[in-house]
Amino acid sequence: MSQSLRPYLNAVRFSLEAALTLSNFSSQEVERHNRPEIEVAHQSAELLLQPMHISRNENEQVLIESSVNSVRVSLMVKQADEIEQILVHKFTRFLEQRAEAFYILRREPIKGYSITFLITNKHTESMKTNKLVDFIIEFMEEVDKEISEMKLFLNARARFVAEAYLGEFVY
Amino acid sequence: MSYLNNPAVVMDNGTGLTKLGFAGNDSPSWIFPTAIATSQGTATGSNKNKAQATGGSNAGGSNPYFGNSTSATSFNNLSSQMLMSNNLAGKRGTEDLDFYIGNEALIASQGASYSLSYPIRHGQVENWDHMERFWENSIFKYLRTEPEDHFFLLTEPPLNPPENREQIAEIFFESFNCAGLYIAVQAVLALAASWTSSKVVDRSLTGTVIDSGDGVTHVIPVAEGYVIGSAIKNIPIAGRDITQFIQTLLRERGEADTSLRTAERIKQEYCYVCPDIVKEFNKFDRDPEKFAQYVVENQEKTQKKVVDVGYERFLAPEIFFNPEIASSDFLTPLPTIVDQTIQACPIDVRKGLYNNIVLSGGSTMFKDFGRRLQRDLKSIVNNRIAQNELLSGTKSTGVDVSVISHRKQRNAVWFGGSLLAQTAEFKSYCHTKKDYEEYGPEIVRNFSLFNMV
Amino acid sequence: MLQLKPYNLLIQKTVSEAVEAAQQGRPLALDRIISDFDYTTFHMYNTAEDQAGTVYLSVRTKAWQSVLQCGGLLEYLQEVYSGCTGVTLLQQPEQGYDLTLALQLTSSPTEDTVLQLSLLKTHIMASPFKLAFKEFDVLKNVPVDPETAQLQQGPASSLFAIQYRDDETIFIKPANDRITVIFDTVFEDETDKIFGKVFLQEFVDARKRNRSIQSAPQVLYSHERPLELGSSNHPNLQGQPSRGYITFVLFPRHFQTQEVQLSSVYQLVLFRNYFHYHIKCAKAYMHSRMRYRVNTFVKVLNRAKVDDDDNDNQPAAESSTGATSTGPTRRTATGRKLVY
Repeated sequence: MSQSLRPYLNAVRFSLEAALTLSNFSSQEVERHNRPEIEVAHQSAELLLQPMHISRNENEQVLIESSVNSVRVSLMVKQADEIEQILVHKFTRFLEQRAEAFYILRREPIKGYSITFLITNKHTESMKTNKLVDFIIEFMEEVDKEISEMKLFLNARARFVAEAYLGEFVY
Repeated sequence: MSYLNNPAVVMDNGTGLTKLGFAGNDSPSWIFPTAIATSQGTATGSNKNKAQATGGSNAGGSNPYFGNSTSATSFNNLSSQMLMSNNLAGKRGTEDLDFYIGNEALIASQGASYSLSYPIRHGQVENWDHMERFWENSIFKYLRTEPEDHFFLLTEPPLNPPENREQIAEIFFESFNCAGLYIAVQAVLALAASWTSSKVVDRSLTGTVIDSGDGVTHVIPVAEGYVIGSAIKNIPIAGRDITQFIQTLLRERGEADTSLRTAERIKQEYCYVCPDIVKEFNKFDRDPEKFAQYVVENQEKTQKKVVDVGYERFLAPEIFFNPEIASSDFLTPLPTIVDQTIQACPIDVRKGLYNNIVLSGGSTMFKDFGRRLQRDLKSIVNNRIAQNELLSGTKSTGVDVSVISHRKQRNAVWFGGSLLAQTAEFKSYCHTKKDYEEYGPEIVRNFSLFNMV
Repeated sequence: MLQLKPYNLLIQKTVSEAVEAAQQGRPLALDRIISDFDYTTFHMYNTAEDQAGTVYLSVRTKAWQSVLQCGGLLEYLQEVYSGCTGVTLLQQPEQGYDLTLALQLTSSPTEDTVLQLSLLKTHIMASPFKLAFKEFDVLKNVPVDPETAQLQQGPASSLFAIQYRDDETIFIKPANDRITVIFDTVFEDETDKIFGKVFLQEFVDARKRNRSIQSAPQVLYSHERPLELGSSNHPNLQGQPSRGYITFVLFPRHFQTQEVQLSSVYQLVLFRNYFHYHIKCAKAYMHSRMRYRVNTFVKVLNRAKVDDDDNDNQPAAESSTGATSTGPTRRTATGRKLVY
């Protein structure tokens, strides 16, 4: 693990632990509704906290937006070139397609970010907060690894295929 | 664009058999088992191995996935050693290219380096990794088409969850870039296939489909192109049970050859449905000509064994109508099940369902199967009407029961697909790649129905 | 499957079946449509009166028009199929098709005949390559004037174009020491464009990196229009910056003998299909990787659930004592237990 990654992840971990103190909160606008206040941000500003922005470099950033009963965590995944761009796009879309299984995954990322999680008080009640944080940290590590592995695979496969094709011309 | 002239591809992936072909043909071009033989990197259990193989999270040399085990057989024209000389080509696996499907899979799995699996269970796709590769090979090797140039018609079982459709769309549009896709329910296609029968006058999509394959028999009511899911009934009696029943009869008599294969051949060549078993027994006793003989040839065609075929000619298919002769736990005859199914449907479609009972699948191919079913069902319905009339004192207009059998019954689902996919409108019913890119996978949750006149 | 086969498996199977059925005296009624890469459709049929006698195989392919313009196509096919007993080219092709072959079933066709029939599409595409090989034989004997050689590469030669897809073309340019085969390609899908670039780069580098395939043709890839195309004003060469040009440089060793010529041509004709097939395989593989990844993520996430701990203790204890189960514990939507 590179030198700057550890502090970055630590910063995200502590910020998340701090942000994940959620409580049940009924909507002030609509009777008998209970909705993630962060998603209806323009209605009641008093329920929102100042968003936190943690940035390792211009390509890797985390945005944590918290409110009284919900937190939105958006990740920007490193995309060095157009291959990584398309791979990240494919991968995050694949995950979002299966958001049902992920409980806390938002079906669409916030503009400018690769993937967004939406954690509500329902989630923190049914899941252990520290494990949730663990998951997000692990996710951040694994995504980078997965993308670079897929890129390696693509290059290796392309090489193999090209050699197999040209090998047919060797008489 | 040129691809508009290309024939659409029709694929019917069943639990047992896959039927592949082009729209406009009267029979599938390929029929083979829905089986895939994947290479085993190491000697560990196939499932565990697979999980590791697809994961490959550690790039370390210990991972079996990166092992240098590209089998030579699939790359026969190519000296694998030559390719492996390059360090990276050897490091990164190409195992996902090393597999066989269909009959080739059955052959390959006899060797030690391949393990066989069936990606479809009970009509639904269980293993998407395998299915994706199965399709890949079907398209490029067997059908030899560039999916970008063709529209595809796929089939799904009734009650298939919409998520599965989305997965199919994801694979066909993202991996294969297919030009357009239509997913049809098998029972609806079987109804469409019956339009070739001369008995069918109006081409409606209302009717009851009896689909009997190898493993299970379904009775599926369809009203105006929509399956009435709550009323579907299954019968655990199908082709395999008939074959096994014949086999036990042969064994009891001590015939010279009692293999499953022989039993299956006898089923296909000699069996028929009789109107009345007792009379049929008498007929056999009076007229010995009814008994047949089946000659078994072994592979080298040097030895010949003769197997007598007796009462099983009509007894075997009889287990649909009198299940008690073969099984002890399932006792409801097929006509009763069909009646129950239709009675479970909304009252306003019942007449249409009785009117148009369509057979599909290999196990409905017995001679006079349709006639017997029609007779038995008619008597059930007439009894009920008589009872009603007696109780209510009013006169019923009567219900017309009609069972339709036709020549395309065996591959009815595929044939129905071929019929629909060759029409000019077919392409307008498909979702295209452009649609997919605009709306995402959920677009395939809805397909407009064919309303053909 | 690594390599695509040059022949059409389905034609091979269908013809063999027809031949076998006819020999057993139970001829098949045929009316089949068969497809192949690059907008190629075959129609195999026979007439009701003559089921045991003749099977017809019609073909319609995108490349037909352009190959016909190169010249010599019908003569070439005539030559190929003259070696196959029982196969004749009909003067008048079936309506809507480019060419119809008739196979006499009574002449008991050999396996090779069947194979040649299934290679029909490849043979059509091979015809301009054959012309190029012939022209090369002429060109290599033309003495090169050193002064003009500096200005233009060797003596003037013809440029053969096969338009095998709507907007993709193969160009073949013979010279006095080489034959250049140029594929112009365009990718419709965004992902394919990027994946394709990675693959093509490897085609270019492969020969330099791997010593064992050094004798393979040199491959070049660029977005610039190759010089070999000269001032040709083929419609596909206009505009479109996304267009890429893949150049294969064949040296005499790649077309010395008849067999080598054939196998080079088979390989080149399938280049685009092979290339796209492997892009698709790579995407399929990535899908399976991602499915695996999703499963592991879900597993990690499920570890966070509070329910897990409760469930681990309770049902296990219940079942071990064999107590009558009171049914599943009722819970609220958030997973809290309901207590009455």
